[in-house]
Amino acid sequence: MPSVLRAQTAPTDARTVRMALGNLQIFDPHLAGTDPTVFHGLAIYDTLFSLDSKYVPQPQMVGKWGVSDDKKTYTFELRDGLGWHDGTPVTAADCVASIRRWGQVAPTGKLIMARAKGISKKDDKTFSITLKEPLGILTELLTELAAPVPFIMREKDADRPATEQVTANIGSGPFKFNNALAKPGANFTYDRNEKYVPRSDASDGYAGAKVAKVDRVIWDFAEANTALAALQAGELDFARFPPADLYSTIESDPNLVLQVMNKSGNNMCLRMNHLQKPFDNVKARQAMLHLIDQEAFLRVTAPDPRYRHTLTSIFGNTTPYSNDENTSWFKKGGDPEKAKQLFKEAGYAGEKIVILDPTDWAQASNASQLLASELRKIGVNAELASSDWNSLEARRKNKGPVESGGWSIYITDDFDHTQLPITASFLRASGDTDGGLKNDEFEALRLEWLDLDTLEERKLLARKMQRIWWDFVGDVRLGQMVTPIARRKTLTGLIEMPYIAFWNLQKVSG
Amino acid sequence: MAVYVIRRLVSTIAIMAMVGIFIFLLLRLAPGDPAAVMAGRNADPQTIANIREQLGLNEPLPVQFIHWARDMLRGDFGTSIFSGWPVLELISQRVEPTVSLGVMTLILSVSVGVTFGILAAWGAGRVVDLALTAFSALGYSVPVFVVGYFFIYVFAIRTQWLPVQGYVSIEQGVGPWFVHLILPTVALSIPYVAYLARIARASMLEVLSEDYMRTAAAKGASSYAMLFHHGLKNAGAPILTAIGLSFAYLISGVVITETVFNVPGVGRLVVDAITSRDYPVIQGVLILVSGLYVLINLAVDLSYTLVDPRIRY
Repeated sequence: MPSVLRAQTAPTDARTVRMALGNLQIFDPHLAGTDPTVFHGLAIYDTLFSLDSKYVPQPQMVGKWGVSDDKKTYTFELRDGLGWHDGTPVTAADCVASIRRWGQVAPTGKLIMARAKGISKKDDKTFSITLKEPLGILTELLTELAAPVPFIMREKDADRPATEQVTANIGSGPFKFNNALAKPGANFTYDRNEKYVPRSDASDGYAGAKVAKVDRVIWDFAEANTALAALQAGELDFARFPPADLYSTIESDPNLVLQVMNKSGNNMCLRMNHLQKPFDNVKARQAMLHLIDQEAFLRVTAPDPRYRHTLTSIFGNTTPYSNDENTSWFKKGGDPEKAKQLFKEAGYAGEKIVILDPTDWAQASNASQLLASELRKIGVNAELASSDWNSLEARRKNKGPVESGGWSIYITDDFDHTQLPITASFLRASGDTDGGLKNDEFEALRLEWLDLDTLEERKLLARKMQRIWWDFVGDVRLGQMVTPIARRKTLTGLIEMPYIAFWNLQKVSG
Repeated sequence: MAVYVIRRLVSTIAIMAMVGIFIFLLLRLAPGDPAAVMAGRNADPQTIANIREQLGLNEPLPVQFIHWARDMLRGDFGTSIFSGWPVLELISQRVEPTVSLGVMTLILSVSVGVTFGILAAWGAGRVVDLALTAFSALGYSVPVFVVGYFFIYVFAIRTQWLPVQGYVSIEQGVGPWFVHLILPTVALSIPYVAYLARIARASMLEVLSEDYMRTAAAKGASSYAMLFHHGLKNAGAPILTAIGLSFAYLISGVVITETVFNVPGVGRLVVDAITSRDYPVIQGVLILVSGLYVLINLAVDLSYTLVDPRIRY
């Protein structure tokens, strides 16, 4: 009986890949910034430019492009063979409408729209962006991976306001969303787009040829422990979040392997409320830099030492702008006596410090609890306010004192490779972020970034910005973590980039 | 009886209305913001504000309530904030797995639990009683998710007899449907088997000590007749009450079981909706579940007349 049952219940075949990728709730990639929505976007939509494995923009839907002598007009011509899943051709009008829609919501898109004098189509395959002032990083902005990503939609979809969800799921990418087989809560099915014409250049990161090598990808919704069990049993080929305490189990299974997809990983960051005591005083913020021993925090957030690194640059560890400017004074961290003294100099008099603790995010919750413990050891009246992340998000908008439902500290994270001044939410000091982080000098330098053309100029600016940042202590970094996925060894061809892509995947016989 | 049923049905509508108001207020007053979930962890405040505006979440609470109540009265449960799909369609897609799991669990729990209880009462103080009482204590104490993952390890990973996860619609074949339900059903049934066994044992013990049972024994009634004809019939009312209450517990148990075994049922739908603050989905599911619960209670109350003719409505 058992073997008969297995035959009925495990239909995985060589041309179908089953992946546990988390809960896809929002299909509109302009509307949502969540990872699953970007995976969905990468599968069914396409982008004008794509990042290669070195995070350099390369043309994707664009065939030829150029910039005028005064650097104010960019012209883009679409490559041949692009078509929507409904059978109609991709046109320049689709691109214009998509950029405008994305420009309503994405921080990078807003930057383009602020500089743009006009975005217009020239003919069916050509469109241009005319700028008020030169914008040397235009193609970088159009390639940005910090969600929302500028996916190109049909004009009739893109004409809807960016805050109104597009649910048609008609793209021009290498996979098609199979509406008939969609089972919300169970799985979604993506079929190979047999009419997709890949680029002729080799696949490199998200750039180059997007070749769908399997007929079908099934997106499974199993939670982490169940997904791992299904992976072990051969019901799934890929589990995005294998539980960290079971890495050794995975490594001892001859059929499974751990693989780091996002090699640059995520940076954990401690955000403080700059508007309220005690962190309205720079000395209290400096105290936090001295207090934090990143190694200790990384042990509770990323227990396996292979998957963690310390971090002192606000530009991450893996961007070209990572540097050591103004880091020597706190570099070692883990100095509670110095922290205690600085709290005293800040006039700290036992006020309650509320740490928002997201209990549904284990890494941040562990770090929050360790932080509370470390603060209490130096006599700080630290209190954890436990909730789910969603409630935390609501509370962090409260700019009032803790007695009025406000907060003092919360911990969050962001991709390491997106730690660029124009895209990183961590690097805004305009006063409109949670906690009112504001520094005009830093903000002026941040905006200069848009006008620099060369890598060397930007590197120099990055050092200046970092010097100011660590003077006023905008936030405190807790380290960098990479999180491996687990897969069956029969699944190969995964693209090692931050978001999961379906093309290039293939299954070899076990 | 008919008047009683009509009165109860009318009260069901009133209860659902109260539940609706309560859920609406609870969700709006609780912390959390669907717009922030949609925008992502590090979205800028303006984007979140724009989404809130688009979703109508900036309107005054009474206005939001009137819109929602008006649509509900028309039978329009609204659309999911996240997927954009109609709530009723989302719920209807999820009903089959949950009903399948619930019915299978109920059948298994009642048949095994009541049998265990009768056997334990029949052998009170003997090995069979002690063994079944120990099982009941254990079964009632161990959380469903622990049992679930244990079963997955033994029956899916080690022996590979059964699938780890997922659900196959009965339309795709009774065999695969049944096979996918075995592990979740058994895992979910264990606490109910234990609970019903304890209730059935206690009820039966009470009945078995009654004078009429001694009279029946003196008249030479067989053990079977004693237990099932005279005993169970008179012990039935408390057991029926326990079965009715089990429905309520079943709803919470289903949520966990569906998550562990990746069954796309109503339980998972509501958990996902709560996590992301998908207000229309939460409201729709909870109102339907509360109505169902009230109807189940009514059915249990009416079923008392079947086991005890002295009860009249």
